[in-house]
Amino acid sequence: MRILTHNYLQSNVKGTEKGYPLLIEPNRVVVEESPVNLSMLQTLLPKLDYSAIVQAARQLATYEDANEAFTVPDLPDLLPETLDDLFLTALYKFLFDLHVIEGHLVCPDTGRKFPIKEGVPNMILHEDEL
Amino acid sequence: MSRPELTGHASLFYNEKEARKYDSSSRMIGVQREITERAVELLRLDDSKPSLVLDIGCGSGLSGQVLEERGHVWLGCDVSRDMLTVAKEHEEDTKVLQSTGDLMHHDMGSGLPFRPATFDACISISALQWLCYSNSAAQNPRKRLTRFFSSLYTVLKRGGRAVLQFYPETAEQAVLISETATKVGFAGGVVVDYPNSAKAKKHYLVLSFDRSLAPRRGALGTAEQDQKQQHVTVGEALGSNKGKKQPPRKKKGIKTKEWILHKKDAQRTKGKDVRPDTKYTARRRRGKF
Repeated sequence: MRILTHNYLQSNVKGTEKGYPLLIEPNRVVVEESPVNLSMLQTLLPKLDYSAIVQAARQLATYEDANEAFTVPDLPDLLPETLDDLFLTALYKFLFDLHVIEGHLVCPDTGRKFPIKEGVPNMILHEDEL
Repeated sequence: MSRPELTGHASLFYNEKEARKYDSSSRMIGVQREITERAVELLRLDDSKPSLVLDIGCGSGLSGQVLEERGHVWLGCDVSRDMLTVAKEHEEDTKVLQSTGDLMHHDMGSGLPFRPATFDACISISALQWLCYSNSAAQNPRKRLTRFFSSLYTVLKRGGRAVLQFYPETAEQAVLISETATKVGFAGGVVVDYPNSAKAKKHYLVLSFDRSLAPRRGALGTAEQDQKQQHVTVGEALGSNKGKKQPPRKKKGIKTKEWILHKKDAQRTKGKDVRPDTKYTARRRRGKF
Protein backbone atom coordinates (compact mmCIF):
# COMPACT_ATOMS: atom_id res chain seq x y z
CA MET A 1 0.00 0.00 0.00
CA ARG A 2 1.30 3.38 -1.02
CA ILE A 3 1.11 6.40 1.24
CA LEU A 4 -0.89 7.98 -1.59
CA THR A 5 -3.59 5.34 -1.06
CA HIS A 6 -3.50 5.92 2.67
CA ASN A 7 -4.39 9.53 1.97
CA TYR A 8 -7.71 8.49 0.44
CA LEU A 9 -8.71 5.74 2.83
CA GLN A 10 -11.24 6.38 5.53
CA SER A 11 -12.80 4.10 8.07
CA ASN A 12 -16.53 3.44 7.75
CA VAL A 13 -17.04 1.37 10.88
CA LYS A 14 -20.31 1.96 12.70
CA GLY A 15 -19.86 4.66 15.28
CA THR A 16 -17.07 6.62 13.64
CA GLU A 17 -17.46 10.32 13.34
CA LYS A 18 -14.80 11.07 10.80
CA GLY A 19 -12.61 8.00 10.60
CA TYR A 20 -9.85 10.00 8.98
CA PRO A 21 -6.86 9.94 8.78
CA LEU A 22 -6.14 6.32 9.63
CA LEU A 23 -3.15 5.64 11.83
CA ILE A 24 -0.40 3.52 10.31
CA GLU A 25 1.23 0.78 12.33
CA PRO A 26 3.88 -0.59 9.97
CA ASN A 27 5.62 -3.91 10.41
CA ARG A 28 7.42 -4.03 7.09
CA VAL A 29 8.01 -1.18 4.65
CA VAL A 30 9.67 -1.48 1.26
CA VAL A 31 11.00 1.17 -1.10
CA GLU A 32 10.47 0.69 -4.81
CA GLU A 33 12.14 3.37 -6.85
CA SER A 34 10.04 4.74 -9.67
CA PRO A 35 10.65 7.52 -12.18
CA VAL A 36 9.61 10.81 -10.61
CA ASN A 37 6.63 12.32 -12.39
CA LEU A 38 6.17 15.83 -11.03
CA SER A 39 3.35 16.85 -13.35
CA MET A 40 1.34 13.89 -12.13
CA LEU A 41 1.95 14.93 -8.53
CA GLN A 42 0.95 18.49 -9.26
CA THR A 43 -2.40 17.45 -10.70
CA LEU A 44 -3.04 15.16 -7.74
CA LEU A 45 -1.85 17.58 -5.07
CA PRO A 46 -4.98 19.76 -4.75
CA LYS A 47 -6.99 16.67 -3.86
CA LEU A 48 -4.57 15.41 -1.24
CA ASP A 49 -4.95 16.11 2.44
CA TYR A 50 -1.57 17.51 3.34
CA SER A 51 -1.99 17.25 7.11
CA ALA A 52 -2.66 13.52 6.70
CA ILE A 53 0.61 13.17 4.74
CA VAL A 54 2.51 14.90 7.53
CA GLN A 55 0.87 12.66 10.11
CA ALA A 56 1.75 9.54 8.09
CA ALA A 57 5.34 10.75 7.81
CA ARG A 58 5.54 11.18 11.59
CA GLN A 59 4.22 7.68 12.18
CA LEU A 60 6.60 6.12 9.70
CA ALA A 61 9.50 8.11 11.14
CA THR A 62 9.12 6.34 14.47
CA TYR A 63 9.37 3.05 12.64
CA GLU A 64 12.34 4.28 10.64
CA ASP A 65 14.62 4.14 13.67
CA ALA A 66 14.39 0.39 13.91
CA ASN A 67 15.07 -0.14 10.23
CA GLU A 68 17.45 1.96 8.19
CA ALA A 69 16.16 0.76 4.84
CA PHE A 70 14.31 3.97 3.96
CA THR A 71 14.12 7.60 4.92
CA VAL A 72 11.06 9.66 5.57
CA PRO A 73 11.33 13.23 4.29
CA ASP A 74 11.19 16.04 6.79
CA LEU A 75 7.94 17.74 5.83
CA PRO A 76 6.88 21.17 7.07
CA ASP A 77 3.60 21.33 9.02
CA LEU A 78 1.90 23.42 6.40
CA LEU A 79 2.13 23.10 2.65
CA PRO A 80 4.66 25.71 1.51
CA GLU A 81 3.24 28.40 -0.76
CA THR A 82 6.00 28.12 -3.31
CA LEU A 83 6.60 24.55 -4.36
CA ASP A 84 10.15 23.97 -5.53
CA ASP A 85 11.19 20.82 -7.35
CA LEU A 86 13.24 19.59 -4.42
CA PHE A 87 10.23 19.55 -2.12
CA LEU A 88 7.99 18.00 -4.77
CA THR A 89 10.49 15.25 -5.53
CA ALA A 90 10.75 14.36 -1.85
CA LEU A 91 6.97 14.34 -1.58
CA TYR A 92 6.62 12.22 -4.70
CA LYS A 93 9.09 9.67 -3.42
CA PHE A 94 7.28 9.50 -0.11
CA LEU A 95 3.83 9.09 -1.66
CA PHE A 96 4.67 6.74 -4.51
CA ASP A 97 7.81 4.81 -3.63
CA LEU A 98 7.13 3.75 -0.07
CA HIS A 99 5.02 0.60 0.20
CA VAL A 100 3.68 -0.64 3.50
CA ILE A 101 3.81 -4.42 3.03
CA GLU A 102 2.76 -5.67 6.44
CA GLY A 103 1.11 -3.85 9.31
CA HIS A 104 -2.16 -2.33 10.37
CA LEU A 105 -4.31 0.68 9.69
CA VAL A 106 -6.16 1.85 12.78
CA CYS A 107 -9.39 3.80 12.85
CA PRO A 108 -8.73 6.94 14.94
CA ASP A 109 -12.24 6.94 16.50
CA THR A 110 -13.07 3.33 17.24
CA GLY A 111 -9.63 1.71 17.21
CA ARG A 112 -10.77 -0.91 14.68
CA LYS A 113 -7.67 -2.44 13.08
CA PHE A 114 -7.51 -3.08 9.37
CA PRO A 115 -4.72 -5.53 8.57
CA ILE A 116 -2.31 -4.96 5.68
CA LYS A 117 -1.07 -8.20 4.16
CA GLU A 118 1.33 -8.56 1.25
CA GLY A 119 0.87 -4.87 0.53
CA VAL A 120 -2.92 -5.04 0.32
CA PRO A 121 -5.01 -3.41 3.05
CA ASN A 122 -8.11 -5.34 4.03
CA MET A 123 -10.98 -2.90 4.54
CA ILE A 124 -13.73 -5.52 4.68
CA LEU A 125 -16.27 -4.92 7.43
CA HIS A 126 -18.55 -7.49 9.01
CA GLU A 127 -22.29 -7.05 8.73
CA ASP A 128 -22.59 -5.95 12.36
CA GLU A 129 -20.04 -3.17 11.84
CA LEU A 130 -22.11 -1.37 9.22
CA MET B 1 -22.70 -21.30 -19.18
CA SER B 2 -24.28 -21.18 -15.76
CA ARG B 3 -23.92 -17.98 -13.85
CA PRO B 4 -21.12 -18.00 -11.25
CA GLU B 5 -23.14 -15.50 -9.20
CA LEU B 6 -25.53 -18.29 -8.23
CA THR B 7 -22.81 -20.48 -6.75
CA GLY B 8 -22.00 -18.32 -3.76
CA HIS B 9 -19.89 -15.41 -2.68
CA ALA B 10 -17.48 -13.82 -5.17
CA SER B 11 -14.51 -14.39 -2.91
CA LEU B 12 -15.35 -18.09 -2.84
CA PHE B 13 -15.89 -18.41 -6.56
CA TYR B 14 -12.72 -16.60 -7.53
CA ASN B 15 -10.43 -18.89 -5.59
CA GLU B 16 -6.81 -19.41 -6.48
CA LYS B 17 -7.54 -21.87 -9.29
CA GLU B 18 -10.28 -19.73 -10.82
CA ALA B 19 -8.18 -16.57 -10.50
CA ARG B 20 -5.28 -18.16 -12.38
CA LYS B 21 -7.61 -19.54 -15.03
CA TYR B 22 -9.19 -16.13 -15.44
CA ASP B 23 -5.86 -14.43 -15.74
CA SER B 24 -4.30 -16.85 -18.20
CA SER B 25 -7.23 -17.19 -20.59
CA SER B 26 -6.44 -15.08 -23.60
CA ARG B 27 -10.10 -14.97 -24.58
CA MET B 28 -11.01 -13.57 -21.17
CA ILE B 29 -8.21 -11.03 -21.35
CA GLY B 30 -9.33 -9.94 -24.80
CA VAL B 31 -12.96 -9.53 -23.76
CA GLN B 32 -12.10 -7.69 -20.56
CA ARG B 33 -9.76 -5.39 -22.41
CA GLU B 34 -12.32 -4.56 -25.04
CA ILE B 35 -14.94 -3.80 -22.41
CA THR B 36 -12.51 -1.64 -20.45
CA GLU B 37 -11.58 0.36 -23.51
CA ARG B 38 -15.22 0.97 -24.26
CA ALA B 39 -15.86 1.94 -20.62
CA VAL B 40 -12.94 4.38 -20.65
CA GLU B 41 -14.32 5.85 -23.86
CA LEU B 42 -17.66 6.37 -22.10
CA LEU B 43 -15.87 7.99 -19.15
CA ARG B 44 -14.64 10.76 -21.45
CA LEU B 45 -11.47 11.30 -19.42
CA ASP B 46 -9.00 13.94 -20.38
CA ASP B 47 -6.02 11.83 -21.44
CA SER B 48 -3.65 14.79 -21.43
CA LYS B 49 -3.54 14.94 -17.64
CA PRO B 50 -3.64 12.10 -15.15
CA SER B 51 -6.90 11.43 -13.35
CA LEU B 52 -7.47 9.37 -10.25
CA VAL B 53 -9.71 6.45 -11.12
CA LEU B 54 -11.34 3.98 -8.78
CA ASP B 55 -11.59 0.46 -10.18
CA ILE B 56 -14.25 -1.58 -8.40
CA GLY B 57 -13.88 -5.31 -8.80
CA CYS B 58 -10.45 -4.89 -10.37
CA GLY B 59 -9.76 -8.63 -10.26
CA SER B 60 -6.32 -9.38 -11.57
CA GLY B 61 -5.83 -5.80 -12.70
CA LEU B 62 -6.65 -6.20 -16.41
CA SER B 63 -8.72 -3.03 -16.43
CA GLY B 64 -6.04 -1.19 -14.52
CA GLN B 65 -3.56 -1.90 -17.30
CA VAL B 66 -5.73 -0.04 -19.80
CA LEU B 67 -5.96 2.95 -17.46
CA GLU B 68 -2.22 2.87 -16.91
CA GLU B 69 -1.50 2.94 -20.63
CA ARG B 70 -3.50 6.16 -20.78
CA GLY B 71 -1.46 7.65 -17.95
CA HIS B 72 -4.05 7.58 -15.18
CA VAL B 73 -3.54 6.72 -11.54
CA TRP B 74 -5.88 4.01 -10.36
CA LEU B 75 -6.87 2.34 -7.15
CA GLY B 76 -8.41 -1.09 -7.43
CA CYS B 77 -10.51 -2.93 -4.93
CA ASP B 78 -11.78 -6.49 -5.07
CA VAL B 79 -13.46 -8.89 -2.70
CA SER B 80 -11.39 -11.88 -3.81
CA ARG B 81 -8.06 -12.13 -2.08
CA ASP B 82 -6.74 -14.63 -4.64
CA MET B 83 -7.49 -12.28 -7.51
CA LEU B 84 -5.53 -9.56 -5.73
CA THR B 85 -2.61 -11.91 -5.25
CA VAL B 86 -2.52 -12.49 -9.01
CA ALA B 87 -2.76 -8.73 -9.56
CA LYS B 88 0.12 -8.19 -7.17
CA GLU B 89 2.26 -10.66 -9.09
CA HIS B 90 1.49 -8.79 -12.28
CA GLU B 91 2.68 -5.60 -10.74
CA GLU B 92 5.93 -7.26 -9.83
CA ASP B 93 6.35 -8.66 -13.35
CA THR B 94 5.93 -5.27 -14.97
CA LYS B 95 8.20 -3.45 -12.61
CA VAL B 96 10.01 -1.89 -15.54
CA LEU B 97 6.90 0.06 -16.42
CA GLN B 98 6.20 0.87 -12.79
CA SER B 99 2.53 0.49 -12.14
CA THR B 100 0.57 3.56 -11.10
CA GLY B 101 -2.08 1.45 -9.46
CA ASP B 102 -2.59 0.31 -5.94
CA LEU B 103 -4.81 -2.42 -4.54
CA MET B 104 -7.05 -2.98 -1.61
CA HIS B 105 -9.25 -5.76 -0.34
CA HIS B 106 -12.83 -4.65 0.03
CA ASP B 107 -16.46 -5.63 -0.42
CA MET B 108 -18.30 -2.96 -2.38
CA GLY B 109 -21.62 -3.90 -0.84
CA SER B 110 -20.55 -2.48 2.51
CA GLY B 111 -19.86 1.00 1.19
CA LEU B 112 -16.61 2.49 -0.09
CA PRO B 113 -14.08 3.49 2.57
CA PHE B 114 -12.78 6.73 1.07
CA ARG B 115 -12.67 10.41 1.81
CA PRO B 116 -15.50 12.36 0.12
CA ALA B 117 -14.90 13.74 -3.37
CA THR B 118 -11.67 11.82 -3.91
CA PHE B 119 -11.96 10.24 -7.34
CA ASP B 120 -12.21 11.85 -10.76
CA ALA B 121 -13.88 8.79 -12.18
CA CYS B 122 -14.94 5.28 -11.36
CA ILE B 123 -14.86 2.18 -13.49
CA SER B 124 -16.13 -1.31 -12.83
CA ILE B 125 -15.95 -4.25 -15.19
CA SER B 126 -18.26 -7.25 -14.81
CA ALA B 127 -18.71 -6.89 -11.08
CA LEU B 128 -21.91 -5.04 -10.28
CA GLN B 129 -24.22 -8.00 -10.86
CA TRP B 130 -22.68 -9.76 -7.85
CA LEU B 131 -24.51 -7.27 -5.64
CA CYS B 132 -27.87 -8.60 -6.81
CA TYR B 133 -27.38 -11.90 -5.01
CA SER B 134 -27.36 -12.46 -1.30
CA ASN B 135 -25.24 -15.15 0.26
CA SER B 136 -26.44 -14.90 3.81
CA ALA B 137 -29.63 -13.96 5.60
CA ALA B 138 -28.10 -10.65 6.63
CA GLN B 139 -27.39 -9.58 3.06
CA ASN B 140 -30.16 -7.70 1.37
CA PRO B 141 -29.35 -6.95 -2.30
CA ARG B 142 -31.36 -3.75 -2.35
CA LYS B 143 -29.68 -2.51 0.80
CA ARG B 144 -26.23 -3.43 -0.46
CA LEU B 145 -26.85 -1.70 -3.78
CA THR B 146 -28.08 1.43 -2.03
CA ARG B 147 -25.09 1.44 0.29
CA PHE B 148 -22.74 1.02 -2.64
CA PHE B 149 -24.26 3.74 -4.80
CA SER B 150 -24.64 6.27 -2.01
CA SER B 151 -21.01 5.80 -0.99
CA LEU B 152 -19.99 6.07 -4.64
CA TYR B 153 -21.90 9.33 -4.82
CA THR B 154 -19.85 10.69 -1.92
CA VAL B 155 -16.40 9.55 -3.04
CA LEU B 156 -16.76 10.82 -6.61
CA LYS B 157 -15.71 14.36 -7.32
CA ARG B 158 -18.54 16.61 -8.51
CA GLY B 159 -18.50 16.51 -12.27
CA GLY B 160 -16.96 13.05 -12.24
CA ARG B 161 -18.37 10.07 -14.07
CA ALA B 162 -18.75 6.42 -13.31
CA VAL B 163 -19.06 3.69 -15.91
CA LEU B 164 -20.02 0.30 -14.55
CA GLN B 165 -20.29 -2.63 -16.93
CA PHE B 166 -22.41 -5.50 -15.65
CA TYR B 167 -24.17 -8.67 -16.76
CA PRO B 168 -27.77 -8.59 -15.58
CA GLU B 169 -29.40 -12.00 -15.35
CA THR B 170 -32.85 -10.58 -16.01
CA ALA B 171 -34.30 -7.27 -17.11
CA GLU B 172 -35.50 -6.72 -13.54
CA GLN B 173 -31.92 -6.77 -12.31
CA ALA B 174 -30.91 -4.07 -14.76
CA VAL B 175 -33.90 -2.02 -13.63
CA LEU B 176 -33.11 -2.59 -9.94
CA ILE B 177 -29.52 -1.47 -10.43
CA SER B 178 -30.26 1.65 -12.44
CA GLU B 179 -33.21 2.52 -10.23
CA THR B 180 -31.04 2.40 -7.11
CA ALA B 181 -28.41 4.58 -8.75
CA THR B 182 -31.03 7.15 -9.71
CA LYS B 183 -32.49 7.16 -6.22
CA VAL B 184 -29.24 8.17 -4.53
CA GLY B 185 -29.05 11.17 -6.86
CA PHE B 186 -27.09 10.07 -9.90
CA ALA B 187 -28.05 11.13 -13.39
CA GLY B 188 -27.48 8.83 -16.32
CA GLY B 189 -28.65 5.50 -17.57
CA VAL B 190 -27.78 2.20 -19.15
CA VAL B 191 -25.97 1.98 -22.50
CA VAL B 192 -26.41 -1.35 -24.25
CA ASP B 193 -23.85 -2.42 -26.84
CA TYR B 194 -24.75 -5.09 -29.41
CA PRO B 195 -28.35 -5.36 -28.18
CA ASN B 196 -29.23 -7.89 -30.88
CA SER B 197 -26.60 -10.43 -29.91
CA ALA B 198 -27.14 -12.64 -26.88
CA LYS B 199 -23.43 -13.27 -26.41
CA ALA B 200 -21.82 -9.95 -27.25
CA LYS B 201 -24.50 -7.87 -25.53
CA LYS B 202 -22.98 -5.59 -22.91
CA HIS B 203 -24.66 -3.31 -20.39
CA TYR B 204 -22.88 -0.18 -19.23
CA LEU B 205 -24.35 1.90 -16.47
CA VAL B 206 -23.12 5.42 -17.09
CA LEU B 207 -23.52 7.70 -14.08
CA SER B 208 -22.79 11.39 -13.73
CA PHE B 209 -23.83 14.43 -11.78
CA ASP B 210 -24.78 16.16 -14.97
CA ARG B 211 -28.42 17.13 -14.94
CA SER B 212 -28.37 19.11 -18.17
CA LEU B 213 -30.50 16.37 -19.62
CA ALA B 214 -33.62 16.48 -17.51
CA PRO B 215 -34.42 13.14 -15.87
CA ARG B 216 -37.23 11.19 -17.40
CA ARG B 217 -40.56 11.99 -15.81
CA GLY B 218 -41.11 9.65 -12.91
CA ALA B 219 -37.44 8.73 -12.70
CA LEU B 220 -37.27 10.16 -9.20
CA GLY B 221 -40.73 9.09 -8.17
CA THR B 222 -41.72 6.29 -5.87
CA ALA B 223 -40.87 2.72 -6.70
CA GLU B 224 -44.46 2.00 -7.59
CA GLN B 225 -44.57 4.84 -10.08
CA ASP B 226 -41.29 3.76 -11.50
CA GLN B 227 -42.50 0.26 -12.02
CA LYS B 228 -45.58 1.52 -13.84
CA GLN B 229 -43.41 3.65 -16.06
CA GLN B 230 -41.05 0.76 -16.76
CA HIS B 231 -43.96 -1.43 -17.64
CA VAL B 232 -45.20 0.97 -20.27
CA THR B 233 -41.80 1.41 -21.87
CA VAL B 234 -41.27 -2.31 -22.04
CA GLY B 235 -44.71 -2.79 -23.56
CA GLU B 236 -44.09 -0.16 -26.20
CA ALA B 237 -40.72 -1.61 -26.99
CA LEU B 238 -42.37 -4.91 -27.80
CA GLY B 239 -44.84 -3.18 -30.08
CA SER B 240 -47.93 -4.02 -28.09
CA ASN B 241 -50.24 -1.73 -26.18
CA LYS B 242 -50.31 -3.64 -22.93
CA GLY B 243 -50.81 -1.46 -19.93
CA LYS B 244 -52.27 1.43 -21.91
CA LYS B 245 -56.03 1.15 -21.74
CA GLN B 246 -57.81 1.93 -24.98
CA PRO B 247 -61.35 3.28 -24.93
CA PRO B 248 -63.82 0.42 -25.44
CA ARG B 249 -64.56 -0.02 -29.13
CA LYS B 250 -68.15 0.74 -30.11
CA LYS B 251 -69.77 -2.45 -31.27
CA LYS B 252 -70.46 -2.14 -34.95
CA GLY B 253 -73.57 -3.74 -36.38
CA ILE B 254 -72.60 -6.77 -38.38
CA LYS B 255 -75.08 -6.40 -41.21
CA THR B 256 -74.30 -2.91 -42.39
CA LYS B 257 -75.35 -1.63 -45.78
CA GLU B 258 -71.81 -2.03 -47.18
CA TRP B 259 -71.67 -5.59 -45.96
CA ILE B 260 -74.98 -6.50 -47.58
CA LEU B 261 -74.07 -4.81 -50.86
CA HIS B 262 -70.73 -6.58 -50.86
CA LYS B 263 -72.34 -9.90 -50.17
CA LYS B 264 -74.95 -9.44 -52.89
CA ASP B 265 -72.19 -8.51 -55.31
CA ALA B 266 -70.26 -11.64 -54.40
CA GLN B 267 -73.33 -13.82 -54.95
CA ARG B 268 -73.99 -12.15 -58.28
CA THR B 269 -70.46 -12.91 -59.52
CA LYS B 270 -71.07 -16.52 -58.59
CA GLY B 271 -74.01 -16.41 -60.97
CA LYS B 272 -76.74 -16.71 -58.39
CA ASP B 273 -80.12 -15.05 -58.63
CA VAL B 274 -79.91 -11.91 -56.50
CA ARG B 275 -82.49 -9.19 -55.99
CA PRO B 276 -81.45 -5.88 -57.53
CA ASP B 277 -80.04 -3.09 -55.30
CA THR B 278 -82.72 -0.52 -54.59
CA LYS B 279 -83.27 2.27 -52.09
CA TYR B 280 -84.92 -0.33 -49.87
CA THR B 281 -81.81 -2.50 -49.68
CA ALA B 282 -80.57 -2.83 -46.07
CA ARG B 283 -83.11 -0.37 -44.85
CA ARG B 284 -84.32 -0.96 -41.29
CA ARG B 285 -87.84 -2.15 -40.83
CA ARG B 286 -90.33 -0.03 -39.06
CA GLY B 287 -90.39 -0.63 -35.34
CA LYS B 288 -93.10 -3.02 -34.12
CA PHE B 289 -95.88 -1.76 -32.01
